[in-house]
Amino acid sequence: MKAAVLECTGLSVGYGAEAILDDVDFSVAPGELLPIVGPNGGGKTTFLRSLLGLVPLRRGRLHLALDGKPPGYVPQHHRLDPLYPMSARAIVAMGLYPELGFWRRPDHHQRRRIDQALEKFGLGGRQAKHFGELSGGLRQKCLLARAFVTGADLFFLDEPTAGLDAASERWFLKYLVDLNREQGKTILMAHHRLEDLSFLADTVCFVDRGRVARIPAARAARPSEPDPQGGAL
Amino acid sequence: MIADFSELVRLFPNALICGGVMAVVCALVGVFVLLKRVVFIGITLSETAACGIAGAMLLGLPPLFGAVALTAAVVAFLSLPWEKGPLPRDALLGILFLAASAASILLVAHSGFGLHEIKVLLYGDLILAGPADRTVLLLTALPALLFLLLFIRPILYAFLDPEAAQVMGVACRRWELAFFFLLGLVVSAASKSGGVLLVFCYLVAPPAAALLLGRSIGAVLLIAALAGILATLGGLTLAYGRDWPANQTIILLACALPAAAWATKAVLQRARTARRRAAKEVRK
Repeated sequence: MKAAVLECTGLSVGYGAEAILDDVDFSVAPGELLPIVGPNGGGKTTFLRSLLGLVPLRRGRLHLALDGKPPGYVPQHHRLDPLYPMSARAIVAMGLYPELGFWRRPDHHQRRRIDQALEKFGLGGRQAKHFGELSGGLRQKCLLARAFVTGADLFFLDEPTAGLDAASERWFLKYLVDLNREQGKTILMAHHRLEDLSFLADTVCFVDRGRVARIPAARAARPSEPDPQGGAL
Repeated sequence: MIADFSELVRLFPNALICGGVMAVVCALVGVFVLLKRVVFIGITLSETAACGIAGAMLLGLPPLFGAVALTAAVVAFLSLPWEKGPLPRDALLGILFLAASAASILLVAHSGFGLHEIKVLLYGDLILAGPADRTVLLLTALPALLFLLLFIRPILYAFLDPEAAQVMGVACRRWELAFFFLLGLVVSAASKSGGVLLVFCYLVAPPAAALLLGRSIGAVLLIAALAGILATLGGLTLAYGRDWPANQTIILLACALPAAAWATKAVLQRARTARRRAAKEVRK
């Protein structure tokens, strides 16, 4: 059995006096595609952010096996200030930052990767457009392209299809499944559309009221059933 | 006008050099101040630098030392995690601004200097900049400029999207702190020869004009630097020719730049729309 790409034990995080996650043991095997589901306010985003080290841990241990390659990350809601003079291309190019040299200039090969990512996410004709002038859906595609241009082995996606039209959403979910099956990429994705779950994976991660549990995707798709605190899991 | 400028070059070369360096460095740093939406920190640090200069004058220390020490202390204080505190950071900035403004006047009043020194401290007079001011500015502002240009990407990314940048390995807090220390250093060095208002003007007006016109960070930085130089040279020449106060003339000219940039942008947009419409009709 391969070593886990991500492992946490006794993980507890919270804001102020409120505990969001309490004593969570969790691991992800390499090449897993794991949707993270749960009700609004259940702690999906906090869970993802804490796995990335963006939320200080109150207790517990977290280990990410990254092999020096940072993960690809798509945050929930694009909070990028439209005041910044950044084109769609400049936003996507940001994804290559960790592998650029001292002068931070992409070489020919890296520029081609940026071109390919822009084309793949339907931004080829709009790459010179100011990020602030793009529609919500196109901004989201920029952030997706920024995450996937990295060529990372591990991805953390927080509601990545938010703002996408139905066709783009379908294409993107299929792209994720292909990426996972053909290239063995590990993908953790907070997702709210329960009807997509069976297409994405057999098992999902259910997060609610401080608890995290793996449950069958088919069961999570029936919203009245999953309850990790109810003892039935 | 050209004759005035030639005379200015001959008689006040230090004012031109100091003004030019201040304009370029403050305008470039100011772009990031505006992008980060922390304009109030600019005026607060300018006032803090003035207070530091006043304190140093009273104690018989080098003015730059007082300015740098106090602004560095304020930057370190502001870098504490105030988001979790009971007061918003803006309120703290307001209190610091008020305290620094009042303290600098009280300190100068106790130093035995006259009203003229207070006016020079608060409003400055670029035209009086001497070789010592020039040396101090070149030794502090130019390394700061080099640092900013070398590390423009991590600073930009840390400001634009701190979470994504952190995941990519950018030490956001460290870069943010480095930037604000750099801002404090630039403001301290510039406040001594230019005065609080002029420094604040350079931090805000040329970058505002540049952000209206520029489409990329490189273009914005270039336009901000050119706008700062234009306001400085134009303001100094006008002030010299008409015997107006130099700083205030530069400030007024600089404040007109965002309005001019806005008008230029509107005209360019209208022309672009008309061109597109014409192209559509030709296709029909």
